[in-house]
Amino acid sequence: MATIKTMKKNAVTAPLSEISVLGWIRKNLFSSVLNTLLTFVTVYIIYTTLKGVWSWGIVDAVWVAENRRECFAINVDGACWAGVIAWLDNIFYGRYPREELWRINLGIFFLFMWMVPLWLPRVKAKISIGMTTVFLYPFLGGYLFAGGEKGIFMQVMLTAAVVCLLVNTIHSIIGVFSGRSLPEFFASLSNKKNICEKTQRNIFFGFLAILFVLIYVWQMSWNVERVPWTKWGGLFLTLVIAGIGIASALPGGIVLALGRRSRMPVIRVFSTAFIELFRSVPIITVLFMATTMFPLFMPQGFVLNKLVQVIIAVCLFNAAYMAETVRGGLQTIPQGQFEGAHTIGLGYWQTMGLVVMPQALKHMIPNIVGNFITVLKDTTLVSIIGLFDVLGMLRSIGKDLPWLGLHIEPLVFGAILFFLICFTMSKYSRHLEAKLSTNHHN
Amino acid sequence: MAQTNTQKTEKNREQLVSAASGEIIIEFVKVNKWYGDFHVLKDIDLDVHKGERIVVCGPSGSGKSTLIRCINNLEEHQSGSIVVDGITLNRNLKNIDHIRTEVGMVFQNFNLFPHLTIIENLTLGPIWTRKMPKVDANDLAMKYLERVKIPEQADKFPGQLSGGQQQRVAIARSLCMNPKIMLFDEPTSALDPEMIKEVLEVMIELADTGMTMIVVTHEMGFAETVADRVILMDQGQIVEENEPGEFFNNPQHERTKLFLSQIL
Repeated sequence: MATIKTMKKNAVTAPLSEISVLGWIRKNLFSSVLNTLLTFVTVYIIYTTLKGVWSWGIVDAVWVAENRRECFAINVDGACWAGVIAWLDNIFYGRYPREELWRINLGIFFLFMWMVPLWLPRVKAKISIGMTTVFLYPFLGGYLFAGGEKGIFMQVMLTAAVVCLLVNTIHSIIGVFSGRSLPEFFASLSNKKNICEKTQRNIFFGFLAILFVLIYVWQMSWNVERVPWTKWGGLFLTLVIAGIGIASALPGGIVLALGRRSRMPVIRVFSTAFIELFRSVPIITVLFMATTMFPLFMPQGFVLNKLVQVIIAVCLFNAAYMAETVRGGLQTIPQGQFEGAHTIGLGYWQTMGLVVMPQALKHMIPNIVGNFITVLKDTTLVSIIGLFDVLGMLRSIGKDLPWLGLHIEPLVFGAILFFLICFTMSKYSRHLEAKLSTNHHN
Repeated sequence: MAQTNTQKTEKNREQLVSAASGEIIIEFVKVNKWYGDFHVLKDIDLDVHKGERIVVCGPSGSGKSTLIRCINNLEEHQSGSIVVDGITLNRNLKNIDHIRTEVGMVFQNFNLFPHLTIIENLTLGPIWTRKMPKVDANDLAMKYLERVKIPEQADKFPGQLSGGQQQRVAIARSLCMNPKIMLFDEPTSALDPEMIKEVLEVMIELADTGMTMIVVTHEMGFAETVADRVILMDQGQIVEENEPGEFFNNPQHERTKLFLSQIL
């Protein structure tokens, strides 16, 4: 029996439970007697908890007071935020000289200036902007934060960083408004049409060279006072350690992961040993090793400061962790992609850089960002070996005479601080995933 | 239809004669390959002449894919010698990279790069291995996209195309490298029946340009009309090798008869 459809069926609106709020509530919260009961119990639990937090943290809280005794006098039941507020500068900057704080703020502002183009639409060459952030910004930031005499190498790198920051900024302003890259913009300034890529590049490099010389001369007059690392602290120190850890973890992890998959036995064995060694040791141990054992292996008279040792330890540890994440990502790439790349003549590095890594990194974004968040949180462990990072600062509030015994409020504040930073990171990773997704099947 | 077929075979026969006299572009001498204990290729001897179209068929697991994958060293052979375009395949990575730029390959699963647009898929090879300026590479890519009849898809991603379209993109991607030899590893096996025809048409057009082609396929119609020679492989050996008319109408080997009776 043959059936032939002659009439076309029109789409009908979905049932109410699928589209209206009331329908949703009915379907998901009150679908049966048990579910209705559970809903009420849950709402009650949420209500009592939130009410307690609300009255302690906001309604009964004391915001202005000279010391903890005064807090108690005003309201015993509320939080004493006055102590946290009095210590805010310490929490953020540690014992950094108060008259030099502008350097930290400026440094962080420069970092934002450097990275904002990455988020702007229509800006070209985002990869090189990202790379320069990782490789050049540390020199600019480092000089601003530490100051003091600068050697010839530091001068060159500092100049390069400033040139790069300037060019990036101009490039992205032009990019946002005209959708062109800086070299293309220069080409369009002259009257000749269709200047080829090579000439464009030459003009651009000429521009860079002139800028470099000018800024090199200018920076020789810069002179900021030296601030020893012992004065660094607070959230600033946490961000410095975590920032360097994060920035170096990915490149380090990629190198180690490729090493572990290498066909060359020496490289493979070395990478595997390195990864397994660091992964099987807690970070606390690594930190202690770095600060107490590491100097023993160094030649006599060779003194590295503690901060540098800690940073190196954090970098190595996180590179090892990241390596396994990257290796996991690499394994999601089917063999066919390698073969496809080989058949159009791409060599090992080109295959990795152009075909495999871009796809693998995209798959890995949730894990990578998870790693970054872990790095940031693990960094608080440096307070144990005597660096006053944000956690160290929060805990010293309770030891400060006027605020003696004030422990809960600072830690709650710390929790909020960390939540904000980490939540932003994970939100951004979701956004990045959605943006980079090319697997739309239709 | 029958007439066009005979015309084609006549044309093929002429080409076969000219091809046979042409220079040898691929030469297998006593090639053996093992996967662990498993002997996949057994003493393979094969000469491919310039401009020749060869179809390799055979049951699955007979080593036909392995055979053509040896040509661009996606698989390494353990004994015997393979000479491609005058270069002997050995451990010398430079030679292998060079041969890979001369030998295009189309896979069963297309192996397009999903993170790049169609046009970027096509220009990747020319830009990075041929060091071609981007503008020229784009022109070249558009030329080949027009040849496979999907220029309008240039800015889409592979995931947005149908299987047949993806396979045509894969063919165009190989052609952008201007190869001397094209290898096809079951190019239509992963496609819906409706899409097989569009891919075969592109391959037939390519064959008409005189490209040296080695095709592993189960499309016997394609073998009959296009091939200069058909090879049947079984258990790692070349069982029968003949021009298509003889191969299909007058098979010699028992295995060939059995194979043909099963698939026709």
